[in-house]
Amino acid sequence: MDKNMELIHKLLDGELSEEEKKEILDRIDSDPVLKMELDALSMAVHIVEKSERLPVPPSFTSNVMGKLPARKSSYREKVWNFFFKDRVLRWNMVTAAAAVCLAIIISAGVFKFQKKHDLISYANMPVESTSIVKFNLYVPDAKEVAIAGDFNKWKIDGNSMKKQDNGIWTIEIPLKPGVYNYMFVVDGKVWLSDPNAESYQDDGFGYKNSILKVAKL
Amino acid sequence: MIDLAERIQSYISKGSLQLVTFSFFIRLMYKKEDKEDKDDMQTEEYAIIKQCMDGNADIYSVLVERYKGMVYNIAYRMLGDTESANDMAQESFISAYIALKDFKKNSKFSTWLCSIAINKCRDHLRSKKDTVSIDEIAEVSASKIATPEDAACNRQIGHSIQTALNELPEEYREAVVLKHIEGLDYNEMENLLGVSSKTLKVRTHRGREMLKKLLRERGISDG
Repeated sequence: MDKNMELIHKLLDGELSEEEKKEILDRIDSDPVLKMELDALSMAVHIVEKSERLPVPPSFTSNVMGKLPARKSSYREKVWNFFFKDRVLRWNMVTAAAAVCLAIIISAGVFKFQKKHDLISYANMPVESTSIVKFNLYVPDAKEVAIAGDFNKWKIDGNSMKKQDNGIWTIEIPLKPGVYNYMFVVDGKVWLSDPNAESYQDDGFGYKNSILKVAKL
Repeated sequence: MIDLAERIQSYISKGSLQLVTFSFFIRLMYKKEDKEDKDDMQTEEYAIIKQCMDGNADIYSVLVERYKGMVYNIAYRMLGDTESANDMAQESFISAYIALKDFKKNSKFSTWLCSIAINKCRDHLRSKKDTVSIDEIAEVSASKIATPEDAACNRQIGHSIQTALNELPEEYREAVVLKHIEGLDYNEMENLLGVSSKTLKVRTHRGREMLKKLLRERGISDG
């Protein structure tokens, strides 16, 4: 490659000093062949850069997630998990029925106790205030992103998020104090956990719900 | 910088080409990145990776969703057909997941993932080279003869740019795809490919030269 062409490539890469720039631009000014070469090169680069990006097949994420191998945990991890890992209670009808009975008995007991002592005055309880919670998710390729959770009865079109210029989708939702399960829905079908969530919980459908705790102000 | 833009404006001939070249330089000059946003994202991605390694595999879907477009399109530009691109892109994500423990905290996940994808594509091209079928040979030689119909087809730039890319040697194609389709700088490419930026510049320059020739031969213009 001759010296001029080398300089032209450096010019395209924005890697020339002011002096070199002047030098090559002067040469281009006076040499129509060189100018044609620059035009043709810029055009080739432009065509490549504006070439359309192909849309990814819709089942891509679920295919990848389905093929991930299970992680084998070491003996040490198993011991650690036994003591410290969050547990998920798996229900069946018998345990559910037992739990309901227990709950009725306890609540009846508490009710009786409260009636007897009448210590709690509900009149003094403050009215619950709402906080504005901002949710963010970076998925630049998505066409639409929504948030679904306890607060909108898991409707996937209840709260659509807005895309910012930097590819981050955001939404602000007013929420009363409490604990909420939620997930993001990308393009109406891919369910994603929130990478910024405080904690997670199995949802029973093979996903993990993100959990948000809104504290009292 | 503005002075440069004006000078470029002044010497380029009238017509659409003028706009093309001008917009190219303008973009070159004002390519700014919001560094804070990127730092935030990097911390977030480390957190996601940590969670994956702690056994929360589901959260990996966030990274897949985030980078599937990048990986799939690199694979498509490298391999030239959507089916292999889909396979190789999926395999890249799976290999990355298996190798998460090797991911170094001071590097960017996207760069690391990209290098895995490029290696997958190289392996795929190599295995394909070993088993070229008679059909494919026939296909290639048939496509070399340009008919008027081909010329019309060539105006579909998306299609023709891919056939031009397919003709570049693998190393030049890698460099052009990463530099001009993914918009990486030479430092990022150096980290990703493990080749010095000096060599990568030469490859990019030669790749661009070849593309220029191929597009000129086929009479492809920007429309």
